[in-house]
Amino acid sequence: MGAIEGILTGFEVAFSWEGILFVLLGVFVGTFIGMLPGLGPISAIAIMIPITYGMDPTLALVMMAGVYYGAVFGGSTSSILLNAPGISGTVASSFDGYPMAQQGKAGKALAIAAISSFAGGTISVVLLMIFAPMLASVAISFGPPAYFALMLLGLTAIASLSEGSTIKALISAVVGFMIATIGIDPQTGTGRFTFGSMNLLDGIDFLVIALGLFAIAEVCYLVMNRHKTAAGSGKEIGSLKLSKDDAKEMSGPVGRQSLLGFILGILPGAGATIASFISYIAEKRIAKKPEEFGKGSVKGLAAPEASNNAATSGAFVPLLSLGIPGSGTTAVMLGAFLVLGLQPGPMLMGDRPEVFWGIIASMYIGNIFLLVLNLPLIPYIARILTIPRPLLISLVLMFSLIGVYAISFSVFDLYLLLAFGVIGFLMRMFAFPAPPFILAFILGGMMEKSFRQSMTISNGSISILFENNISLVLIILSVLSFAFPIANSIWSKKKAG
Amino acid sequence: MKKLLALLIFVLMFLAACGGENTSSNNDNANDEDTEENSGEDNDEWALSESIEIVAPAGAGGGWDTTARMSAQVLTEESLIDQDIGVVNKEGAGGAIGWAYMAEQEGSNHNLFVSSSPILLVPLNGQSEYGHEDFTPIANVIADYGAFAVAKDAKWDNLNELFEDMKEDPQSVTIVGTSAPGSMDHIQFVRFAKAAGVDITKIKYVSAPDAGGVTQVLNGSADVFSTGVAEVAEQVRADKLKVLAVTSEERLDGEVLSTFPTAKEQGIDETFVNWRGFFGPKDMDPAAVEYYENKFKELSDSEAFAEVRANYGWNEMYMGNEEYKQFLDEEKENLKSILEELGLLE
Repeated sequence: MGAIEGILTGFEVAFSWEGILFVLLGVFVGTFIGMLPGLGPISAIAIMIPITYGMDPTLALVMMAGVYYGAVFGGSTSSILLNAPGISGTVASSFDGYPMAQQGKAGKALAIAAISSFAGGTISVVLLMIFAPMLASVAISFGPPAYFALMLLGLTAIASLSEGSTIKALISAVVGFMIATIGIDPQTGTGRFTFGSMNLLDGIDFLVIALGLFAIAEVCYLVMNRHKTAAGSGKEIGSLKLSKDDAKEMSGPVGRQSLLGFILGILPGAGATIASFISYIAEKRIAKKPEEFGKGSVKGLAAPEASNNAATSGAFVPLLSLGIPGSGTTAVMLGAFLVLGLQPGPMLMGDRPEVFWGIIASMYIGNIFLLVLNLPLIPYIARILTIPRPLLISLVLMFSLIGVYAISFSVFDLYLLLAFGVIGFLMRMFAFPAPPFILAFILGGMMEKSFRQSMTISNGSISILFENNISLVLIILSVLSFAFPIANSIWSKKKAG
Repeated sequence: MKKLLALLIFVLMFLAACGGENTSSNNDNANDEDTEENSGEDNDEWALSESIEIVAPAGAGGGWDTTARMSAQVLTEESLIDQDIGVVNKEGAGGAIGWAYMAEQEGSNHNLFVSSSPILLVPLNGQSEYGHEDFTPIANVIADYGAFAVAKDAKWDNLNELFEDMKEDPQSVTIVGTSAPGSMDHIQFVRFAKAAGVDITKIKYVSAPDAGGVTQVLNGSADVFSTGVAEVAEQVRADKLKVLAVTSEERLDGEVLSTFPTAKEQGIDETFVNWRGFFGPKDMDPAAVEYYENKFKELSDSEAFAEVRANYGWNEMYMGNEEYKQFLDEEKENLKSILEELGLLE
């Protein structure tokens, strides 16, 4: 069966009434789960596995895929409104989404997020459909040295993520790095910085840190400054409508970051979270007014939102065409394939085209449903902000606690959450930026892993990092990315002087 | 009015959060309600008087979790057990969090958990204070086997060629696996290398979590992928990888699987089983142990479970309480000596 025929079969499955029903069910559950901090698509899909046992495999998988990208779609809502990221892929969306909502433009922020998500999701599905069979080779082209170089490139942007003192941003990043080393070291199997506590053997969950540094710290801040900022309460939601200028401003980042997000999504291990951060940074780097980022910039919200949704579709490339799960969620989906009697792998497209193409085709419908489902709800959801502040603060606190507890049902994680909340609050008081911390944490773990893997493979020779074309190019880019702002500032000083 | 509506949405979200939490820890409740009525009357000497909790000492979706959930489902659907069975994930520290939780259930007759080789290896690595000795082995139900795979165009065609090269220079070959050094993927390879006479202290092993193993062998970063048979079968069928050996005693069943040679037939006298079974807490009532033993035997023999095994590529491997215990003791001694030689013993 040719690819065209396969695609048609896929659409047939996706457009059957059962197909539409299950996509709808999936994206609905996904949006909902995504909005709730802590609860993510992994647990939702794992719970679905026994329920779908015996179902038509295509429909079951179409639904699970819907939960996955639906959660990434919905996750931005709580990031924007409450500064409490719904899932790890939407942490970066709070950088500009939350300030925007605080400025009385919550409606607009949610609309931007929804439209960027929709565009990112749809653009990437088109790419997925056209290139999936060919992209399989991209997914495996990255060896440990290339991953190391990619993470290095991401890290060179720490300085650009900071407002004010670069030294403070670097200190923040170093602490993030240090926190990332806690837990069992995968290359030796020994525990590091666990202080003999079993609870730290797995390291600290990304969401615990993100919710602590953002949501809990914000709660502390609001409580401490309750009199000062009282004037801002009873907030406006603002209009949903995007002006022509907004639309124009969004189109660039959405187009670029959908592409970048998709490519990063294809790489196993990178995923939506890393994609959203890198896209945010990339967009800030090329922005004409980078100083607007972090203060409610349209571009700063559109970029990570387009990127994380695009990365989600990208993650289906290695899963469907190679049988390699690139993220926790796709690993669970791989399990679902097996239960349903399917073998995801290079043979899937030929053996079961209706499954392969059915899932891809259903994503078009899923993304449209998500937009239709989310846009009309925005005015209602955004009204959360009109809840009196004392009540809102307690609700954020409660959701964060429930969300963290739901990750691993561990009371210890709750203490960690509160500790990171206090750390986040202190950082804010003393003007240490939180984004470099979180960026270093997420990239640092992977960077260390790939560096150590490279060193094991090369028997300790550092030259392995420069022998591979991909890593060489990425390292050169990192050096440029690092040197350019320095050169630029020297240049402008000279000019001024 | 508007405020009320917003509050309502919030309350709904809260309820969903609680609901979600419940379902993930107790997903079978909903399905089981109809079977509740006919519980109670049981002709066995020891009868279940309350619902059972099965702990998967890992996150949702992994091997332990699926074993627990699929077993619970078949036990319920085939009416082998008429009480509710809840599956609870106690994730963390390679199982140690779940085992610590189970250690607190001492004497309980209604708490079970799923485990496999890590319950021997993790305590040996010094990362869990509890090992299999601290629990009651009830029954083993399934087995997986390992495989050593290389890229399609690799220079080795069988295990002996690989080991010949490794005997000359162990560091010229990179082994990749999903788990950390000292755990399963590493140890299974080391066991065979040792049997072949390779200097195992010099073996280069890279741990690649997040399914990086296949990728690394496919792109040439690493040479040999040490993993489970199921993980590579599809890649072999697609002509991307070739399997040098499987760790089972005899060749496996299945169109693709039966083409994989065993190490044994290549003259390397070693095997490795990734067994998986159920345990109870310490001091479980012997009558209860016997009850569960029989139930798991029925589960293992049922057609419904045979279908589950086939779907996941698991093999049947039933061992009752006594046999299981003896097997575990021997296996642990064996692993201990290997870890000692590698310097990984704590």
